[in-house]
Amino acid sequence: MREDNDDYKFAACTFFAKDHPGETCGSNGLPLTPSSVTIIGQAQRLLILKHPNLCTYLDIIRCKHERIIVVAEVIGKSLKETKSKFSFEEIVNIGLQIANALNFLHKLDITHRTLSDDNILIDSNGQVKLFNYGMNYMTKEGNEVAFPIGIPRYFSPETILSGGGPSADVWSFGIILLELCIGKLWQNLKPGPILRRILTLVHAGNAAERIARENDYYDIYKQVPDYLKNIIEKCLKIYPSERATFEELVSELSCLNTKTHVEIKRVRGLMGCDLHVLYHLWQLAGGDVQAELKKNCLIKNSPPILSMPIAILLDGCTIGGKTGALFDRRIAKYSLDLLKLRLSHISPHDFYPLMHEKRKVYDAVTLPKIIRERDTEYQFYRLLWFQRLLKGYPHTAAYIRAEAEVDIPPLLRGDVWAALLGVCGDIESQYERIDKETPTPTDKQIDVDIPRCHQYCLLLCGEAGHRALKRLLKAWLLTNPQYVYWQGLDSLTAPFLFLNFCNEARAFACLQAFVPKFLHNFFLKDNSSVIKEYLAKFWQMAAFHEPELATHLHEINFVPELFAIPWFLTMFSHVFPLHKILHLWDALLVEGPSLPLFMGVGILRQLRDTLLSSGFNECILLSSDLPEIDIGECVKESINMCRSSPRSISYRRYTNEPAVKEPADDVVIPMETLFSEICPRISLSDFFSLVCQDKCCVIDIRSNLLYEKSCIEGSINVPYSGVQLGQHELRALGLRPQRVISEAVKQKKTVVVASAEDETAQLCEFFLGGFSLLASRRRSTSRPDMEGYFDNDLKDVFEADIDPVSRPCLIDIRYRLQVMSSYLTLGMIKMLFPLPREIAR
Amino acid sequence: MNTETIQKTTKSFRFSFPTCTNEDVFFKLEVPVEIPYSGSPGELVQRVINMFHIPVYLEDELNEKLVEFIYEETTNFHNERDENLLNQLKNGELNVEKIVKNWEKLFKENVVEYAEQKGTSDEEVFAAAYHKLVHSPALETILQVENSYAKTVMTTLKNRDEDIKKLTERQTEEMEEKVRLLNTFTTEEEINELAAQHFEQQNLAAGRWGSQLDALCQAQRAHHRTWLMNTLDQYQTTAELDTPSNSPLATFSLERLALPAPRPRPEESFTIHLGSQLKQTHNVRIVAMDMMDLCTLQHDDPTEASRRLQTSLSLYSSELCACVLVGGGPRGGDTTKQLARAAAASTDHHFPHVDTQLQDIAEKVKEPVEQRNAQRIKELGQDPRRAKRDLQPGDVFITKHSNLADVHAVFHLVADDAALRSGDITSRHPAILGLRNILKAAASNDVASISIPLLLRHDLSEETTAAWCVRRAELVLKCVKGFVLEVGGVGGGGTAGSNSGSGGGGGGVHTIHFVLPSQAAPALFQSLAALLPAIFRISNPVKVKPQPV
Repeated sequence: MREDNDDYKFAACTFFAKDHPGETCGSNGLPLTPSSVTIIGQAQRLLILKHPNLCTYLDIIRCKHERIIVVAEVIGKSLKETKSKFSFEEIVNIGLQIANALNFLHKLDITHRTLSDDNILIDSNGQVKLFNYGMNYMTKEGNEVAFPIGIPRYFSPETILSGGGPSADVWSFGIILLELCIGKLWQNLKPGPILRRILTLVHAGNAAERIARENDYYDIYKQVPDYLKNIIEKCLKIYPSERATFEELVSELSCLNTKTHVEIKRVRGLMGCDLHVLYHLWQLAGGDVQAELKKNCLIKNSPPILSMPIAILLDGCTIGGKTGALFDRRIAKYSLDLLKLRLSHISPHDFYPLMHEKRKVYDAVTLPKIIRERDTEYQFYRLLWFQRLLKGYPHTAAYIRAEAEVDIPPLLRGDVWAALLGVCGDIESQYERIDKETPTPTDKQIDVDIPRCHQYCLLLCGEAGHRALKRLLKAWLLTNPQYVYWQGLDSLTAPFLFLNFCNEARAFACLQAFVPKFLHNFFLKDNSSVIKEYLAKFWQMAAFHEPELATHLHEINFVPELFAIPWFLTMFSHVFPLHKILHLWDALLVEGPSLPLFMGVGILRQLRDTLLSSGFNECILLSSDLPEIDIGECVKESINMCRSSPRSISYRRYTNEPAVKEPADDVVIPMETLFSEICPRISLSDFFSLVCQDKCCVIDIRSNLLYEKSCIEGSINVPYSGVQLGQHELRALGLRPQRVISEAVKQKKTVVVASAEDETAQLCEFFLGGFSLLASRRRSTSRPDMEGYFDNDLKDVFEADIDPVSRPCLIDIRYRLQVMSSYLTLGMIKMLFPLPREIAR
Repeated sequence: MNTETIQKTTKSFRFSFPTCTNEDVFFKLEVPVEIPYSGSPGELVQRVINMFHIPVYLEDELNEKLVEFIYEETTNFHNERDENLLNQLKNGELNVEKIVKNWEKLFKENVVEYAEQKGTSDEEVFAAAYHKLVHSPALETILQVENSYAKTVMTTLKNRDEDIKKLTERQTEEMEEKVRLLNTFTTEEEINELAAQHFEQQNLAAGRWGSQLDALCQAQRAHHRTWLMNTLDQYQTTAELDTPSNSPLATFSLERLALPAPRPRPEESFTIHLGSQLKQTHNVRIVAMDMMDLCTLQHDDPTEASRRLQTSLSLYSSELCACVLVGGGPRGGDTTKQLARAAAASTDHHFPHVDTQLQDIAEKVKEPVEQRNAQRIKELGQDPRRAKRDLQPGDVFITKHSNLADVHAVFHLVADDAALRSGDITSRHPAILGLRNILKAAASNDVASISIPLLLRHDLSEETTAAWCVRRAELVLKCVKGFVLEVGGVGGGGTAGSNSGSGGGGGGVHTIHFVLPSQAAPALFQSLAALLPAIFRISNPVKVKPQPV
């Protein structure tokens, strides 16, 4: 018997959603949401319900042709299959468990409506669970399906008359109890006669007695103990108002209940895992929900040519064709053998990872993320470990961050993201306090945008999704009165809603934490300077890492204002489909606010070849409808770029981060200067660390007089005034500079150009501020108090480029840096950096 | 199922609390609450607190009261409604019989348990058998048998044509003779008589051949069926194991598979991506040819076998091919007649004879169309003299075929000829809307490839200037793009994306062929072909870059 229970952990049933007849446009002019999508949206809430007497819902799947598959936990057998008769003691106990479950559901405003002997499951320990109790809820009282839900036998009289509220369940419950006591009712009767009989009960004084008589069970009924009869009769009152409620029934039944539940030892090992985890792993191990249904003939695929309609009228009315499959109440059960076998070699210890134990390194880590997410064993370890860490949150926040850097198991992404964003506290009551209903002037725009936001996603395109998204947006706008609704906020919210579909409060808290961190002040009414700075910085990063490309784009005047605003305003959520955004943001949340800049560069890098060969118009077209981007690659590269760049070069003024205290870290320059500069500036401390690690080559372009007076050790002097603009050869700079620069290029060093600020003014005619300064009073190698050596009048800033990753880039950087400064002639650049890319490669 | 949707009612929630200064003076507030309340009571409480500036210490009390109020009112709401219903029932005010009948019907028609036991239908059995056999080594034999049947039909047809031709010739001679002798030996009356006689003869001959053909087809069909079922039995008992590994193609000799000599027809293909965030890939192709080429088969041409092969293999699969014919209703229209001729050129072993299908359609659409037309007349005040029972422009009827060259289903788009042929149309034109319905039906019925007349007409004429063609093509392409996007999304038959990683996959129309009349000039073809990449977004091929070492 135990074996039997263990064998099947979950089951699926399937049905078709209703087709919309005729004209398929809603009042807003958009196509009506298909019933199956509505059902999916509605059913999400069921997936998170947990109660000892309810079978957990595991998955709701939408297939072709409006088919819905519902997967849920199963235990033991249904009451229908149970042949043995129960003692009255047992009946009370069963009744109590059912009543508990229904009481729980009614508290949540869910009416069962389909309670019957085949969806009440009982295992060998006497544990009772209700199966598929959400049919009525997910189909919106049966409105989204063509078939009638429920079984006639358990219909209450008012249900037959198209009425019926929660108390209809009480009636069904009464019938169940009665059947348990006296035997199956109205056997071998068709629905019609059964319904007729139920309706005639309204004339009876005592419905239970009448039913017993009708079924020739009166003698047995008389032997039923009074306390049970009493309860049954309370349930089978004709008028719903007279019926008991489940709250009353629970308290009465618990008084009568003599059977205490046998304390079952908690199952350890695989079977002790959370069911959602088990189901997820089972799917990864190759479990196929549809296959089993097909095997049981619950999915029959009739050739589509046979069900073709014969005509379609202009208004969409279809004539002839498919008659629609019948609703089959049977279920297909799934065994976990596949998964057990797959994970059989895992030692029992591994099921309970310890926090401070040394973590094993799994081979899979080197594989691409998409493959790791589909690896059963890898996911198994990750899931257990993350679950453990999440239990310790917020204490374990640092661990979670460290692990999230590797990857995030998809099943727990919602929780992990919330942890990464530092969401904690009583978010539910905070969210509850926000008024999401009162109309505001932005509602109109929100209503327009929502039906266009990630509508390929089943959750977001349904009515439930639209409602939740609107509530979230309104709540956010109300909580942040300094901000306004910019189009794109909807896309930004979508990933959070997608991951926290049934937990709006957490979705809101995530959004609330995300915006200040990554999009500080982006949603101001006048966000132009914020966005301008961001784009300028992005452009500098592009020049730094992809100089050749940046030059080209510069030349054709394809500036970021033309394409990159939606990228950053929505953190790419408007640009990519959800499954890509999730991976992108996984990295974003771990790496911090400067990563998006490099992600932008990463995207450009993937489009590089196309962009390089395109003119302005093609570029505009390309960016308006981006081709497929390999997100895994993009994330990898952007992280590399981000980590290898000195922190100060991606410095932005408009962030939420604490202001720089150390003068040596300061790279603040006037906005106008920033907009005009193509190369980023580096802070002194970053520069020193480069110098100390011998990772840079400094070119001092001040006059040789100043250079003689004081300079950075190891720097070479190429006085700007001495540069011959017409020359293309590096050698024109002189022998020494040529040697040093070529050497630096070989060693993948960063080239830092240093100039005195006071010179900048003079140089403007040529450079327009292209370079900034580095000045030191005298040669010095002693670092301890570096600031002391610098003239305070001169702003100690550098303009620097770095790319230790690829040598060719370094060449490009300088090469391109110059080119991009449109005020420099090609000759000048070639002269400074004659090595063409091909040679370096 | 609930015939009446849940009605809501509004109840007033009353709350009062003493003022700070005077215990006896109460603040009173009244909030209308919709019952049953769909929102969260907690949120409503917060709104009330904010709106009426209620002191926060009352929050818990207010919350409790409101929850209680909603619970009670909801229960009352349900109970009162049910009590009403039950009282009506008790007093016999309800038509119990009707209600029960309604339920009975619902259960009987929709739930397996209560439905009449029905075995798998004959056509489904045959479909399964055929599908299995064409994916087995028996494929070649099947095609050969079908081909020989087709040849027989063709010979018969040829004989008929010759016979009728001879008859006509003889009659003409006779008639000429008679006419020559008119007023000398014969009278007008005699000529009339002769004409009537000839007419009768013609009818007789046609009838005789018709019934002969009918009988032939019937016989072939029956024979084919028995033969197929027997083959299946044999196959299952003997060669059960070697099906999957044996590709049907392997048994085909190369000669037989040799592609038909490429007929010189201009065509161009593109792979496109549609959708703003999640992209779907489709293939679009523009080709200048006669739509009938997709239907007509040359049975005596051995190279045509490969076309038949493809069509047979996918007949019962979920990758159907279809084409759109623009023309008149099921009872008229040149295109329909042409199609009927092509379909009658061989026996359809799977679906009813094309004439039967057309008749059936004409019969079955009568009632719904009449209803619809009546409504239209009422609403729009249209001319009631217009044919009441005929399909109107924009309506579509569908025929299924197993014996055509490249298509399994034909969508016949009924069109208002004059307007469509020359005039400019908008995206709200019935023909365009009909096209939308076609694409929708195609997506939800697993049609993977569809051919659409790009200009919504099958030939060119003087009115169709190059400018007109471009204008029309642009409209059709743009509309089709929109429709494909629409049916490809969740609203359509396909499933895109999934929240749990187990989506149903596929769906939607994969390949769209835009067909130009075959007489289109190369220059016209070029200019129309250039529209495709402009209107659809051509996918960029993924370029594999060598990793810098």
